[in-house]
Amino acid sequence: MTVRQMDWDFSKRGQEDVARHQKKIKDSIRENIADVISEESIISRKKGQTVKIPIRGIKSYQFIYGKRKGGGEGGGGYGLGHGKKDKGDVIGRRPAPNGEGDGPGKGGKPADAAGEDYMETEVDIEELIQMMMDDLQLPDLRKKEIAETVVPSGWSFEDVEKHGLKPNLDKKRSFKNAIKRAADSVSKLAEKTGKPMDVCQKALNKFKGDYQKALELLQTENPEAELEEQEDKLKPFIQHGDLRYRVPKENTESHSNAVILAMMDVSGSMSTTKKYLARSFFFWMVEFLKHKYRNVEIRFIAHTSEAKLVDEDEFFHKGESGGTICASAYDLACQLIDTDYPPAKWNIYAFHFSDGEDWDPAKTMLSVKRLMEKAPNMVGYGEIRTEVAYGQQLMRNFEESFSLERYTSYRDSDFEYYLAQRAELPLAGVILKNKGHVYPALKVFFSKEKRV
Amino acid sequence: MSDSREKGDITRLVRADNHIQKIVGEYGLDCFPQEFDVIPAQKMLEIMSYNLPVNYSHWSFGRDYEKQRTQYEYSGGIPYEVVLNSNPSRAFLMKTNPYPIQVLVMAHVYGHNDFMKNNIYFGRTRRDMLTSASESAGRLRKYEEQYGIDEVERLIDAAQAIQMHIEADLFQESAIQPESAEPKRRPQKMGTPFADLFDFDGQLTSKSFEEKRDEARKLKKKIPAEPDPDMMGFIMKHSPRDFEEWELDVLSVIRDQSIYFMPQRKTKVMNEGWASFWHMRLMSRLFQDGFLTPEEHGYYNLYNARVLASNPFGLNPYLLGVKTFLNIEKRYNAGQFGPDWERSESPDKWKTDLNVGKGMEKIFEVRRTHMDWFFLDEFMNHEVVEESELYIFGSKQQGNVEEFTVEETNWSTIKDLIVRSFAHSGVPLIKVTDGDYGGKRELYLRHFYDGLTLEEEYARQTLRHVFSLWDRPVHLETVEVEGNSETRIQLTYDGKGFSKINLGTYVKE
Repeated sequence: MTVRQMDWDFSKRGQEDVARHQKKIKDSIRENIADVISEESIISRKKGQTVKIPIRGIKSYQFIYGKRKGGGEGGGGYGLGHGKKDKGDVIGRRPAPNGEGDGPGKGGKPADAAGEDYMETEVDIEELIQMMMDDLQLPDLRKKEIAETVVPSGWSFEDVEKHGLKPNLDKKRSFKNAIKRAADSVSKLAEKTGKPMDVCQKALNKFKGDYQKALELLQTENPEAELEEQEDKLKPFIQHGDLRYRVPKENTESHSNAVILAMMDVSGSMSTTKKYLARSFFFWMVEFLKHKYRNVEIRFIAHTSEAKLVDEDEFFHKGESGGTICASAYDLACQLIDTDYPPAKWNIYAFHFSDGEDWDPAKTMLSVKRLMEKAPNMVGYGEIRTEVAYGQQLMRNFEESFSLERYTSYRDSDFEYYLAQRAELPLAGVILKNKGHVYPALKVFFSKEKRV
Repeated sequence: MSDSREKGDITRLVRADNHIQKIVGEYGLDCFPQEFDVIPAQKMLEIMSYNLPVNYSHWSFGRDYEKQRTQYEYSGGIPYEVVLNSNPSRAFLMKTNPYPIQVLVMAHVYGHNDFMKNNIYFGRTRRDMLTSASESAGRLRKYEEQYGIDEVERLIDAAQAIQMHIEADLFQESAIQPESAEPKRRPQKMGTPFADLFDFDGQLTSKSFEEKRDEARKLKKKIPAEPDPDMMGFIMKHSPRDFEEWELDVLSVIRDQSIYFMPQRKTKVMNEGWASFWHMRLMSRLFQDGFLTPEEHGYYNLYNARVLASNPFGLNPYLLGVKTFLNIEKRYNAGQFGPDWERSESPDKWKTDLNVGKGMEKIFEVRRTHMDWFFLDEFMNHEVVEESELYIFGSKQQGNVEEFTVEETNWSTIKDLIVRSFAHSGVPLIKVTDGDYGGKRELYLRHFYDGLTLEEEYARQTLRHVFSLWDRPVHLETVEVEGNSETRIQLTYDGKGFSKINLGTYVKE
């Protein structure tokens, strides 16, 4: 027979090699984590813990021909195709792979025809966080150990003692003890003397609760005669042993709260791209802190020359006209801490993004100092310079006022950051020039906190 | 229930197969015995990504397998066919395909079978690759256990990077020596020419130092004597790196498979064209002979149209191949050939119809003697280009949109581009020109530039792989084009980084 049915054992090889390939993809994500985490699809995901991100496929390298330059400006590749067409006919369009536009994350779509070898890969956000934690070497965050703060919450008297100060005398409890002792004594007397309970009670009452004297009387010939006038109601006579004193105790409460005070200049000069960098940064900041605290809140402080509390959408998407006074944001942050986020109960993370413009930097520095006095966990300032920087740079003022030291990243010399020379000062500054800088900025911010 | 239905299906396929065999003989196709295995879709996808039913493990196969699977899930039952170059010929039918598609695939397979048996480029290939590959898969698995997956993977990565740079004379006996059935013996090493100045206990031999030095100088010139296109073979033989036995075995396995598939790479368009040409004939016959109902025939037509569909963004080898064969058949039937006809300047020559009936004879001859490069060069004419509706497109960026437009429909420009891209099976011609570059046993590769430049990032990454096999600095001479100027450059990787030397710029008028 030349045609036969072959029910092959499903060899595992295919699946095994799929897993090998998947592992390579994971490694590649790890290596390119800075680019991956700033993908727009992550922060704009609808819901759920997984996101699809375009990553460059793992290639099999060989000597191959390059793409020939096509005609015209920005010419890409060329190719052969079939179809009834004339010269100049448009056969297809797709979003440009490297848009010149200002928007982040444009293009990068998986290529069909002649384009780059990108593939969409599903990644778990949690997995990305783990990769970052590993890289950041933040074991305290990684283990998801919840950081708790213990604060006193007043006094309570849950325990009692036989000795104590008069003001702490527990009258009710002492009285109860006396009643109990009286009842016990009556029972005992009745048992010992064989007299009825009411007679015993009368005897006890006659001697104001003195058990010994009552017993002696009851053991005489005719005690009833002597006890006629006595009441047979149980009367507590408080003795020294009945007294109970309250023990005063100081109470505490545990909190695991963090608040992010997100501040940003929303004046006209902050373009969509610039705001996107801030958005990406805050997204991961929240995700990180969720690993450390049970309760993480974020408050959005948008400022021009004045600051106000806004919601997330307004913060990232609405621009406003007006000047730029950064101090206003820091002042509002201080105010919020005073009213809503007492540092005793809240871990405070304040971060401010601007493009460096400030009409009154001296005033801003004073406000920053005031904020630093509120005992925040970390304060950060991010200056976004997506264009060649000209004009004012608020970072300079930070540098001078807080004696910050300037560093450049080992991995990406284009990335600059500033750290307080005084190790215990929880202040860091970063300069973000592109999407790739979001990750190192996070790294600086959280590493600094670790060292404080 | 499904069991008996499956049996019924098989019985029907066997009947169709018997009939196809009969008419295949009548048409004069000359085939190896043909075997069909009906297999589940998953296995089919696996064979397609591993190239063979059983092959060694590597992440790249996993990547391809996943790609195939996704494509399969989205496409909804493309009539996949896999036929292996072996004797007897083995082909696979996907269990889930409906009857008319199975018959279509069977008919198509007989075309491939005949082609692979008779085309001279297949004359010397190993027909026992299936057994050999499954044995070597077992050995490589053992190496993984012994030396670690990563170690084996690095070697396979490097070997695959240069696997296209082989040269086996397909007409010579040596090309078919079963090489990987047994672990390889170490080939003669280049060694140092001074090694035999000393015998084993270190005594000077009779040759004088001067004699040896002259010999060494001569030898140096000779490695390789001529630029050697067989980069992989050269590295295996002459690498200063001390390959272990198992490493040489891995390299041989990959090299042998590459040699095995070389004829298929050289004849993709012809092979698919020939098989499509025949499945069309055979399917018409089967319909006439009552092996297909009109509905089934309609179903076949639908799928046939998909196989030969115009791809707006790529060359369809089935379409181009079948159009070329049909054109040859037509011309040779009508007498549109011969020196006089060739020389004629009259446009009417394309209307010649002498009814000489030489079409069949000619296409059988061509399927024997040609490979794609020569096939297209010789037989792709304006009629073929027009009937295949071929064009060249380019892409332009318009704001945020990349736009693809038709840039060329002129048949001879198109033919030029196609023929050029089929030269050397589409692999850039790179030869080893020096195995002792600078007298330091460095490897010098030269790209024989023919108008198409190399993709630089790929060249760099491939050079790293070459370095891992050679263990000393490797150099690649190639050409970069910027506007009208062509610059010859030497790209070097020394294990730490790359350097680039400008060897001279030539500006075109």
